[in-house]
Amino acid sequence: MTINISATINGRQKALTVRPNQTLLELLRDDLLLKGSVEGCGVGVCGSCTVLIDGRPVSSCLMLATNADGKEVTTIEGLVRHGELDPVQKAFLNHQAFQCGYCTPGMIMAVKGLLASNPRPTEEQARDYLSGNLCRCGTYQEVLAAVKELAEG
Amino acid sequence: MTLVGTDVTMVGGLAKVTGAVNYAPDLVFPHMLYAKALRSPYPHAKLLRVDARKAERLSGVVAIITRDDLTGLNPYFGPVVDDQPVVATDRVRHVGEPVAVVAAESREIAEEALDLIEVDYEELPAVFDVLAAAKPDAPVLHTQRQETNAGVHREEFNFQVGGNVCSVFHVEDGDIEKGFRAADEIVENTYTLPPIQHGHIEPHAATAYWEPSGKLVIHSASQNPSGVQEQLAQIFRLPENQVRVIVPLLGGAYGGKTHARIEPAIALLARKARRPVQWVLTRDEVFLTGRRYGAVVKIKTGFKRDGTLVAREVVLFYDIGAYALNGPVNAKTGCYVASGPYNIPNRSLTTYSVYTNLPPTGPFRGVGVSHGCWAYESEMDDIARRVELDPLELRLKHLVKEGDIFVTGEKLVSVGIADCLRRTADAIGWRGKEEQARPPSGSNLVRGKGLAVTIKSTTTPTTSSASVRLNADGSAMLLTSSVDMGQGAQTSLAQIVGDELGLPFEKVSVSLPDTDVTPYDKSTSSSRTTFHMGQAAQKAAREIRSQLLDVGAKQLEARVEDLELRDGALCIRGTPDKRMTIAEIFKARFGSTVGSMFGGHCFHTQGGLNPKTGKGKAAVFWFFSACGAEVEVDIETGKVRVLRAITAVDVGKAIHPRMCGLQNQGSLLAGLGSALFEEMVYDNGQPINSNFLEYMLPSLEDHPREFHSLLIETPHPEGPWGAKGVGEAALPPVAPAIGNAIANALEGVRIRDLPIKPDKIVEALNFSKERS
Repeated sequence: MTINISATINGRQKALTVRPNQTLLELLRDDLLLKGSVEGCGVGVCGSCTVLIDGRPVSSCLMLATNADGKEVTTIEGLVRHGELDPVQKAFLNHQAFQCGYCTPGMIMAVKGLLASNPRPTEEQARDYLSGNLCRCGTYQEVLAAVKELAEG
Repeated sequence: MTLVGTDVTMVGGLAKVTGAVNYAPDLVFPHMLYAKALRSPYPHAKLLRVDARKAERLSGVVAIITRDDLTGLNPYFGPVVDDQPVVATDRVRHVGEPVAVVAAESREIAEEALDLIEVDYEELPAVFDVLAAAKPDAPVLHTQRQETNAGVHREEFNFQVGGNVCSVFHVEDGDIEKGFRAADEIVENTYTLPPIQHGHIEPHAATAYWEPSGKLVIHSASQNPSGVQEQLAQIFRLPENQVRVIVPLLGGAYGGKTHARIEPAIALLARKARRPVQWVLTRDEVFLTGRRYGAVVKIKTGFKRDGTLVAREVVLFYDIGAYALNGPVNAKTGCYVASGPYNIPNRSLTTYSVYTNLPPTGPFRGVGVSHGCWAYESEMDDIARRVELDPLELRLKHLVKEGDIFVTGEKLVSVGIADCLRRTADAIGWRGKEEQARPPSGSNLVRGKGLAVTIKSTTTPTTSSASVRLNADGSAMLLTSSVDMGQGAQTSLAQIVGDELGLPFEKVSVSLPDTDVTPYDKSTSSSRTTFHMGQAAQKAAREIRSQLLDVGAKQLEARVEDLELRDGALCIRGTPDKRMTIAEIFKARFGSTVGSMFGGHCFHTQGGLNPKTGKGKAAVFWFFSACGAEVEVDIETGKVRVLRAITAVDVGKAIHPRMCGLQNQGSLLAGLGSALFEEMVYDNGQPINSNFLEYMLPSLEDHPREFHSLLIETPHPEGPWGAKGVGEAALPPVAPAIGNAIANALEGVRIRDLPIKPDKIVEALNFSKERS
């Protein structure tokens, strides 16, 4: 059984055919070949699959693809506009806020969500908001530095 | 040198922030199938029947491998002992052991097929506790070992025959009995560490296919392309040039991807399916596939009333799980450092690697060293308290120094440990003896500071080879099998090559490992890449350098000594207008402005220990590090917050200071997790918390407010620009530094079993109240 949905993926309207049990992450990775969002835990706790749904961060491994119907989905691949990096991406580069980079797209999308809801977060607020994104390389301090720069922007 | 020692932009950074990196789970191949494994539900059982015929008939299933598919192969493999089957043969030895692997058109079909595979098991008695497993009456995991003397051994590690003890390592100094007789006091304690997860967010992942010629190609998230190649060649009875291992950037590894694990089965499955097959483990499968050794450490120390240590005995049991993997190596590398970086005249150190019916293990940042360190650094603080000395002073009094002879009989060089410790103590604001005698705070929240140090070897002897190719346009390519798993190997190696050839950073690129193209490397492990591959790359580049200088000397009519390579050109020092571009040198050398110049080097270190005596040369270089922590403990709830954590690592020379710092931060944070909450829990061999909901990794919530790394540079005479290794050094002292901080906050109440969870603190405080 399949279901037809319509969603805006990184700014482009798409008609999509999905399975009822398919997660949004599977749709993005398997069908749309958007491989920047990755599965780390499969249970919505590591944040590596974070994407924006109508501007708010969501664990795409927990969301069913059918629930993306009518929604605006933004992934890491959708952040570069006209060949320009998003300010969050630039800040991550400036502060070397990554090592292996596997959690980085999810972390960047979470920071996007943070700044959308609170453009001037304090360090406490940033820590609290981003505590759902795990980085085993331990590069959190640099992520906080990147957020600080963006908040002071 | 213009690149070495600077924070150039990390190679691959742009791809990482745009989500453009193709990690192993992201790869896509035409007609690719998906793999899923049927795993044993029992910790120990005979396999009576495995029947996949029904599953094979399911639409969309292309191939299934079971023990029936091992004919014609060498079915057992392992880095030092061939004891691990490609898929289970006569029995299963841990929950989660693959019994069959399915390749299907989709993951869903593969999953569905698993239910149709019929397996009959006959349960066997199992053993999970490492001390129980080491006893002669324990159920034996590898009975065949009795007949075959444990299969093929690649190196000598004092393998044991008969029971579950896989290997023993022993080294001693002086006369331990005499030492204890000379002591005024003797303390004896037992410390334990549970198994923990590496926690790489990228799971194990590999895709294999066979070329029509019969050549195996595998893309794998491995720290060890040459090792995987060697193992697959042996299993499939192929020459190594018929096995091509390609490794993309890794999404973290921390030791967890050092050895072949899923590669043999996926290669066999792809051969049967005659199509590319991809296998990406789920998180719970990662928990069943690898972990850090759990351990029991028995430590006994004799000392004088003035605090002089006169004797130390350590007996350490590593739970290596169902298969040997790196266990015997670990027992060796954990042995000679088990009494710490201290001069103690009489010592006896013994380590055992012991099979248990728990999932397999593998090297983990600070391989085997964290176990002994947890014990000896906790003991140092307790002894200091006992003899009323400042724990810092007690350590400094005994620390090894430049030129000291270590327990292995070798002379220690490039020893920056005292600097590491002093700088850490300063940074944490250490106030001497009074740190152990805090006045009661009158509140539920009490604070304490703790220090710890460590010493670790790098695996020796080993080999790394590299080749460098210079193009006529002045760009160069380093061909290396070193894996970039986030530590920045590509970046630091490019810095080394760039400086050797006088090229700007962006003119040097570094290959990803591909065994068809990149030469042999022991593995990206043991924090060995900068030192070993750094030298191979440097010497390979020097071969090109000398060709360039020779041509230049003739053309410019100058002496080689007066020439320098700078900004992509050759010039005479002090005469900037007398210069040649790389293209002009090519033209002069080959008569053409196209072509390639090559340089290559195979770098090998000398050393090794006599397994009978434990003496020899354990390490071509040693790691030294210190950690300082300040904690706040809630004595009502037992909750611990790490307020500050500082680490100092002697890196020899920081090739890229920023990345060295990041490596240390990663070690520091993983150490914090292992100190306070990380623990894999089993109930009769069944994993209880194999997911990130119940097994917590440190998050920003746990991240200390003050958290940094100090780099100490004690140059190593052989290292590239004096560099040693970095990656693992910071981790081992973290747990004891935090443990010591907690003990100092709690007036000496000591927790000896990791992790230091709140309930243990409450219980220990209640016990100490009852006693007083």
